[in-house]
Amino acid sequence: MDLLQGTLDVLVLRALARGPRHGYAVSRWVRERTGGALQIEDAPLYKALRRLEEAGCVSASWGASEHNRRARYYRLTVKGRQRLRAKESAWRRYAAAVFDVLSS
Amino acid sequence: MTVGARPCVPDERRDDVDAEVQFHLEARIADLVADGLAAEDARARALREFGDVDDARRYMRGVDRRVQAAGRRERYVDDFRRDLAYAVRRLRAAPAFAVTAVLTMALGIGANTAIFSIVNGVLLRPLPFHDPDRLFAVYSSNRTGGLLQASVSAVDLDDWRAERQSVEDIGGYLYGEGSTGVDLSGRGDPRRLSAVFVSPGFFSTLGVVPQAGRLPREDEMVRGGHDTVVMLTAGFWTREFGASPSVVGSTITLNGVPYHVLGVLPEHFRFPTGDADVFVPYSTIPDSGIPRIRPVRVLSVIARAKPGVTEEGVVAEMMGITGRLAARYPEDRAWDAATVVPLADVITGPVRAGLLVLAGAVGLVLLIASVNVAVLQLARAMGRGREIAVRLALGARRGRLVRQLLTESLVVSLLGGAIGLGVAKLGIAGLLALSAGQLPRAADVVLDTTVVSFALGVSLASGVLFGMVPALRASQGNAQMVLHDTRRSVAGPGNQRVRAVLVVAEVAVAMALVVGAGLMSRSFMALLDVDTGFRPDHLLAVQFTIDADRHGAAWPAPATASAPRPLGSPFSLYYEQVINEIRTLPGVVSAAAVKDPPFRGNGERNGFTLPGRPVPAGEDPPTATVIHISDGYFATIGAKMVGGREFTAHDRSDSPPVVVVNEAFARQFFPGDRAVGKALLLGRNVPVEIIGVVNDIRQVAMAEPARPTMYLSNLQNSRVKTTIVARTSGDPLAMANAVRQKIWAIDPNQAITSVFTFDDAVSRALARPRLLTVLLGAFGLVGLALGVVGIYGMLAALVNERRREIGVRLALGARPSQVLMMVVRRGLALATGGVVIGLAAALALSRFLVSVLFGIRPLDPLTFVSMAAVLLAAAAIASWLPARRAAALDPVETLRND
Repeated sequence: MDLLQGTLDVLVLRALARGPRHGYAVSRWVRERTGGALQIEDAPLYKALRRLEEAGCVSASWGASEHNRRARYYRLTVKGRQRLRAKESAWRRYAAAVFDVLSS
Repeated sequence: MTVGARPCVPDERRDDVDAEVQFHLEARIADLVADGLAAEDARARALREFGDVDDARRYMRGVDRRVQAAGRRERYVDDFRRDLAYAVRRLRAAPAFAVTAVLTMALGIGANTAIFSIVNGVLLRPLPFHDPDRLFAVYSSNRTGGLLQASVSAVDLDDWRAERQSVEDIGGYLYGEGSTGVDLSGRGDPRRLSAVFVSPGFFSTLGVVPQAGRLPREDEMVRGGHDTVVMLTAGFWTREFGASPSVVGSTITLNGVPYHVLGVLPEHFRFPTGDADVFVPYSTIPDSGIPRIRPVRVLSVIARAKPGVTEEGVVAEMMGITGRLAARYPEDRAWDAATVVPLADVITGPVRAGLLVLAGAVGLVLLIASVNVAVLQLARAMGRGREIAVRLALGARRGRLVRQLLTESLVVSLLGGAIGLGVAKLGIAGLLALSAGQLPRAADVVLDTTVVSFALGVSLASGVLFGMVPALRASQGNAQMVLHDTRRSVAGPGNQRVRAVLVVAEVAVAMALVVGAGLMSRSFMALLDVDTGFRPDHLLAVQFTIDADRHGAAWPAPATASAPRPLGSPFSLYYEQVINEIRTLPGVVSAAAVKDPPFRGNGERNGFTLPGRPVPAGEDPPTATVIHISDGYFATIGAKMVGGREFTAHDRSDSPPVVVVNEAFARQFFPGDRAVGKALLLGRNVPVEIIGVVNDIRQVAMAEPARPTMYLSNLQNSRVKTTIVARTSGDPLAMANAVRQKIWAIDPNQAITSVFTFDDAVSRALARPRLLTVLLGAFGLVGLALGVVGIYGMLAALVNERRREIGVRLALGARPSQVLMMVVRRGLALATGGVVIGLAAALALSRFLVSVLFGIRPLDPLTFVSMAAVLLAAAAIASWLPARRAAALDPVETLRND
């Protein structure tokens, strides 16, 4: 199943909603939550992270990983949280509308 | 602290992206291996899951670069905002320093802006004509006679115009301030209008476009054509007709003849003068006024080169034409050359040197002001030395500190610049008033965007200039030392040395300025001391032009036609009547008439021969200035007869022709001999007896010695242009109306050209040197004051810093007078250093003053010595004040407070 435009951004933002994560953790979270239903490569994921960083939705800083390795951690900014809320409700409305059409 | 140990930014960024990708792949491989995959397979799968690694890297690096750049920008703006707030806070905490520094800069920047606006308007802005660099002034040249920039004959000009090739257009004009005019009648009181008489080609050469109506056609500017046409200047159109468009096409009466108003010239058109009312074809001047023959050279000529033709091209063409004319016409024999000068140089030439001197001087004032503020800032750095040392110790970067301190300087200089603009506005108004109409292109002197940009640029530059040294010094503090000893500051001995150097530099520049001002004042005094040859006080002048039609024809032509006798001068009756009536006025001590009063006309120029001294073939006869006067003229203006007598009422057209010459004439043509009683041959060899020798009277300019001059009686050689000169017992201007009424009682239609006093004429002749003297004097004073303040501030700070040392000395038995002398010696040492360097600089710079000095040499030793003495005396006073405070210190008090 291919990703709809902008879907990746909302998934990444959602992955960071519970607190800072490094890129690999985001990738793992997305893979686990979608149960493999969505074929998401890591390259576009990292690009999405950078895109969100440049847009001011996430900030990044270096920290130590769970195995004490140097890792780049991403955290939602205030702007990122607002963006997530807005995208989330838009997605819910969109999905509900599509569901309604398909189930009528 | 360590500087420069940070890794290079690009490497760091590559590491960041690589490290992140590396971390991801390794973590994924480890997870897959933990799930039971073989290492090889895990690696392959991790890479597959990642996708295009290189593309991702490229993208990530791009974003990183942009994010970092944006971060730097933001930090920079943040820093700047913080620095600004900090600077304003610091300045408000030290209002005395802030006000002194800002006002010092306001003075310096304001003076520079004012002078620049004049230099810009007069010298830098192009003339208000299209392609002004293709415009030239052209003069007739007589190389054997040494007359290189002579006026041009109207007949020659016609030939020049006909033969021109690389010259696109050429035209001439006749204008004399207060002397060329036409009488306007039919509109209230008859008035004399200031007129410029122009030949064909004048308007087209300049490329003037009228704002209303049209320019005269070529056939309207020549004899025989319909040449009774007139162009109005914008000013006259507004004053006289309220700028009514209906005037164009109507008729006004000039010199009693109806003239057709063709059009109105544009507002900005001020060539050759801003004072003209009307422009009239030169062809309307009859031969009885100015004969139209080759030897009569009265026109100023302007030419426009064709595109691509250089000044040399114009010279070559004009030399060719004049050479051919000289070969063709015997009257032009000696006039076989032309002189070509760019028009801009002609217009601004008389003031160029003076303005450049002023620009240089005012620049020095700004330099002193900047150095002064730098010294003030260094003194202040003492107070903040501890703060800076703490910040350095805490790891602040030196660059940041320098920037922060520079911001403070820039705030000072920009505030100074803003106030300086106000100073400049006042200054410009004052300068224009002081220049008394003697500044060409004064209308172009305005505070425009160029001038404002200049002020801004100067503010920024001087802010950096006076901020850099203190900022660099302050940020060089030794953190250890300061933190260790709280009494000492980074403004220690090193700081003092820097301040000493600055103060010496300041005094040196002040010295150069003061010498310049001194030279200029001495020169001006020499100018004031010039013996003009007459007493200008209580002399009223009333100028008018006699209407030959109503009062009889004038003498036909200049001395060339001064035969045969008797030579009736019909309007001499009118002439004498007017003078005699004015002589009867109570309050008038004496009265006479002259055609060209001193400083208001150069007189005519005529050839003559001496009996027994024939002119060798192929040479022109000697020439001398000719001025037409009435009887009693020399007595009235207070000139002295050196020998013989002046004209009396008995020297008339029916008595033998006589002439009075000046001393310069007698010296040159009768060296070692008595001139009185000798004869000259004038015109067609008419013998004229020299009846008197008068002292030299300055005629052209204050700084120009009298030329050999012949004075002719206006009853024997009449001229329509007349100035009545009356010596009054009281205020001369108070008599002006009575004199006018006397004239109108005889001829109610007599238009009066102008009324002025000789004092005023002299004053205007001195306007330019006076302006230069006043300004250089002001700059010199400001320089002196700032230099002295610099010494004072330096010593006051020194005494303050060395209180303890002085206290110890006093406690150990030093006498207060010894302490006093110690401080004064230090001040005088600084001043002497500055004076010596400044004198050397003044020696080098004074040659730029050569062209504006009069009567003294630029290396005038008296000026140099006296100005050095003045500066040293001022420095001694400035040193004595802090010295006295040092001597009065209470040793117990200073030691206890430590």
